[in-house]
Amino acid sequence: MSHKGKNSASSAKGKKPAKSGAESKGEDVLQAVVLADSFQDRFKPFTVEKPRCLLPLANTPLIEYTLEFLAMNGVQEVYIYCGAHTDQVEDYISHSRWASSSKSCPFSVLQFVRVADARSVGDVLRDMDKRSLVDGDFLLVHGDLVSNLILDGALAAHRKRRETSAANIMTMVLHSGGPADHRTKTNGITPVFVVDTKTQRCLHYDEMNPLQSDHYLSMDPLIAEELSTEFEIRADLIDAQIDICTPEVLALWSESFDYELPRRNFLHGVLKDWELNGKMIYAEIFEDGYAARASNLQMYDAISRDVLGRWTFPFIPENNIMPKQTYKKHSNNVVIETGASHAADAKLQNSVIGTNSSIGSGSRIVNSIIGTGCKIGANVTLENSFIWNNTTVGDGTAISQSILAGDVVIGKGCTIPTGSLISYGVHISDSVSLSIAAVLSTVTSTGKQVTKDTKLLGPDGNAAPFFDPEDDELDDEDPSRLQKSLIYSLANYNLSTSSISTFASDVDSDDDNDSNFLATDTAHSNRSRLSSFASDDSAGKISFHTDAVHGLLDALRADSGDFDSAKLEFMGLRLANNASDAMMRKAVATAFTRRAVELVTPEHGGLDASKAADRAFTACKGASKFVNEVGVGGGESAQVEFILALQRALQHYSKGQEQSKAATLLPAMLQQLYALDILEEEGILGWWADARAVEGESMAALKEKCRVLVEWLENASEEDDDDDDDDDDSD
Amino acid sequence: MPSVSTGHALDLEKFLKSLKGQPLEASVNSLISLLKRRQIKGSEPCAVATAHILLQVVARSKWHDVDSLLINVSRTGRKLVDAQPNELVIGNIVRRVLGLIRDEASEDRGDTADESASDAPTPTDIVPPTSISQQWSSKRFDSANSVAPPARPPIVSSYSSINPPKSLFHLLSTSPPADGDVSPFRNSGSSTPTWRGNSGQIHALRSEVIDGIEEIKDEISQVDDQIAASAEVQIHPGDLVLVHQPSTTVERFILRAAQKRKFTVLIAMAPPKRHSSTETQHTTFRKKLSAAGITVVNVMNGGLMAYMSRVNKVIIGARAIVATGGVVADAGSAAIARAAKEQGAAVVVLSGVYKLSPESPFDESSLIEWGDSSTFVSFADGPLVCGAEIRTALTELIPPELVDTYITNLGTHSRDHLSSLISDHYKREDADFHIWEGALP
Repeated sequence: MSHKGKNSASSAKGKKPAKSGAESKGEDVLQAVVLADSFQDRFKPFTVEKPRCLLPLANTPLIEYTLEFLAMNGVQEVYIYCGAHTDQVEDYISHSRWASSSKSCPFSVLQFVRVADARSVGDVLRDMDKRSLVDGDFLLVHGDLVSNLILDGALAAHRKRRETSAANIMTMVLHSGGPADHRTKTNGITPVFVVDTKTQRCLHYDEMNPLQSDHYLSMDPLIAEELSTEFEIRADLIDAQIDICTPEVLALWSESFDYELPRRNFLHGVLKDWELNGKMIYAEIFEDGYAARASNLQMYDAISRDVLGRWTFPFIPENNIMPKQTYKKHSNNVVIETGASHAADAKLQNSVIGTNSSIGSGSRIVNSIIGTGCKIGANVTLENSFIWNNTTVGDGTAISQSILAGDVVIGKGCTIPTGSLISYGVHISDSVSLSIAAVLSTVTSTGKQVTKDTKLLGPDGNAAPFFDPEDDELDDEDPSRLQKSLIYSLANYNLSTSSISTFASDVDSDDDNDSNFLATDTAHSNRSRLSSFASDDSAGKISFHTDAVHGLLDALRADSGDFDSAKLEFMGLRLANNASDAMMRKAVATAFTRRAVELVTPEHGGLDASKAADRAFTACKGASKFVNEVGVGGGESAQVEFILALQRALQHYSKGQEQSKAATLLPAMLQQLYALDILEEEGILGWWADARAVEGESMAALKEKCRVLVEWLENASEEDDDDDDDDDDSD
Repeated sequence: MPSVSTGHALDLEKFLKSLKGQPLEASVNSLISLLKRRQIKGSEPCAVATAHILLQVVARSKWHDVDSLLINVSRTGRKLVDAQPNELVIGNIVRRVLGLIRDEASEDRGDTADESASDAPTPTDIVPPTSISQQWSSKRFDSANSVAPPARPPIVSSYSSINPPKSLFHLLSTSPPADGDVSPFRNSGSSTPTWRGNSGQIHALRSEVIDGIEEIKDEISQVDDQIAASAEVQIHPGDLVLVHQPSTTVERFILRAAQKRKFTVLIAMAPPKRHSSTETQHTTFRKKLSAAGITVVNVMNGGLMAYMSRVNKVIIGARAIVATGGVVADAGSAAIARAAKEQGAAVVVLSGVYKLSPESPFDESSLIEWGDSSTFVSFADGPLVCGAEIRTALTELIPPELVDTYITNLGTHSRDHLSSLISDHYKREDADFHIWEGALP
């Protein structure tokens, strides 16, 4: 029909921004930026040959879900950044109904954005800013998004806020994930949002993962003081990374040239520097609807199950969202496309079968998705698996929870164990049983042909196990390691034993977990106070502790120089916050312990315990005096308290890194303090007898380390004045 | 900031607005997407949207004779039916329009019939003045009250003995593909040469068909009023009337009766959904009823059966009626109808004639619309999401034997009467339009 000039003009995809298309738009035109490349390689080996957004999820390419979501929400102008495999994505889209030359395209503009050598999402967005393609509110989404949310409410709220203040730049769309375990929550990396309950302003963002050494979230205490009186810390949210942004957001990306990731860098950074930039970001938390990103294989698996479970309604196979799909629902929740056939005695359940696929007699297909043109032989068992197009599975083969990409040929009588990933075009001979989950590909990570591993895959095998050289370069603690496999498992990782606390899990470790989780980085000893976070009083105490410890630590780190100014500052803080003796003692103990622990770590030279203790207390002039006067400052009872504080502070560190080394710090520090005449033997022995020193396992373990020291002290006192005092119970 | 209050998400209203501004094919595709995404749902919105888009097809697609128009309409219709096969009304409206075109064409073409008949005997060429039109008029009078009949042109049906599928198939296979990409030259010398270039006749046909579709649209909008006219006859003073999740049709019906009669209404509430939007909807209804002095009792579905022995009438709003008399209605109504039958209460189904479908699916379960799993279970409930299979039926089929009376905008009917209603409204050759279209290459 009569084709509008604007459409054809803007259909010219290219590097130049459309001149007339984008800029003259009124405010009510909704724009969207789709990042079809995530700059990650969590879908390897599949993404070596195909871009992630074209991988089929329930027999529909991922990008279709994303574009449908945008069309559903009435988006008019779409800008797509393709990244890896640009040609494939552009080719796919320009031959689909979304192409702006096609009459059925619901968008008035669909334009590809090409960015030369972009290496991160940040690079793309900074480039977008330069081109000024978007001029109003826009949606920023990823090309692997599956969602059925209607954003009208969120958009209206965003617009209202933006009108109130230009500093309200962004609204994130999040979905509540509930307190319990949930398959659609991301494994490995847990996003933690701190959101004001009244204004929905997001106050802080951080990510936690099981590999990190300390399971703490550090939060600026000013947040509690100045920004909000009532807020929630939520680790349960499913973050599909749908952001409603103003162009300001792009400008902010440009300002921060080193930001790479939209969440860990950008969001975290912008929220942290709220004082500097004055920007505000809000979180719209949905209870209904569905939103998730197939950001890794585990999420791919989870979202596929959600599609089978109709959570993504209306984006389910049965609704034939793509043109030419002809799926029909049958009994047992089996959705079969016209043209597919299955033997009468094949047992099918909760599965999707694409057109021209056939399933042999006696096969059992459960919770699986089979693409188009697949040949499944007789007596095949297929459980929880995904089979893409044109794959052949021989008779009697058993496959469980694996992904078989397109054009794979599996011989007869094979066994493919849970967690296997078999990439495009792999052939496996008859009667091959893989014992452990295998990642097989015909190409290497750089796209070259592999040398066939016929030993593993039989004489017809044409592939080899896939190794990603970048895997080895990853930091051991990089949580993306956890997201590279289909099955989430922590089994192969050496995790620190401290509790992996989330709100969800009820791990009962030695201490109160909830406050552990909230605890700021520096709050080692006194954790109970955090449960009453909101009250001003305790907020002041936290602030004193944090500031004091930081101040002292800085002075100690300077190593040389005079400690007097630090002391002055400390006393000033004390007066300002009206801190008690106990609080001061705690702060001093924490600061010195942290310094000592730092010194034993390899980065700071890896000193042995006694040297570290010596350096911590004596490197700075006046430091020991300061400890004596301020930290201890009294008789036996005060000394006992101080040692306890040291022990508690140390306990926190011994949980994490350098466990063995840190543990020996306590006797070393005690000895040092004894040598400096800060502690007297009565104090140490008093502590030894104190019941509080053995609260919990780790405290007791720490105490045990000091046995030698204490025995030496006891002997020394017996020698000095052969006194009576033999009945001190050393146990 | 013009659009602060209105959102961006699409719906029926936005779709109808967009019709004028975009090319026909884009409109069709956007409607298909809306149907697939269930952004237009429910029988009335679907019917309205279908009527609008077919009007556009008639007005704006390229056609130069009746046959190509029929093909255009049925092709578009088939796409719509495929997009949402569970909404039978879409197919109904398409059939109505097809029948309308045939009628108008046969009127106009009476004199030119012999020319084309020699080549391809189309069913529209044969104009047997059968008894159908008499039946039509007689039925109009025997309906319980004098409902204003829908202003349709009198049916001169081609309900004939000729073998329509064969001729139709022949007709279609020699015709060019539908829509705009038709080359006008391809058809030259084929079955209907006399119609080419006869722009006056085409123009007349076009405007008459458009008028006819406008009348269908009017009919849809008036259905509720016309059905409500039967209310006083159906509801007697002192009745205890049970309604199940009342649709607007049912609400209007009850409210109309409430103007004259004193009775009691039991409202069977929807099961406790997580979204409480239906709750608020019913409150306005309840307020209106109590303003009219009617006693209203809310009953949860579970507790319903205890009341059933006292209920006189159960009133159910249909989403569609299949040819056998089975009623597609909101989930939960079948159990109520069954209970009513056991207790001897009358089951009355309210439905516009446009919801009456000539289809009678072999597989009844294929009529059932399955909804979003999150209707009753929160997605945030991890253990339930991962551990349970959740199915939410939005509709279910009430077997015909459970229904006593059907009330349409044409009056009150028994089940046996439905077949004659169907033959009045739909032409036999259009009954399977979506199937024979599909058989084409």
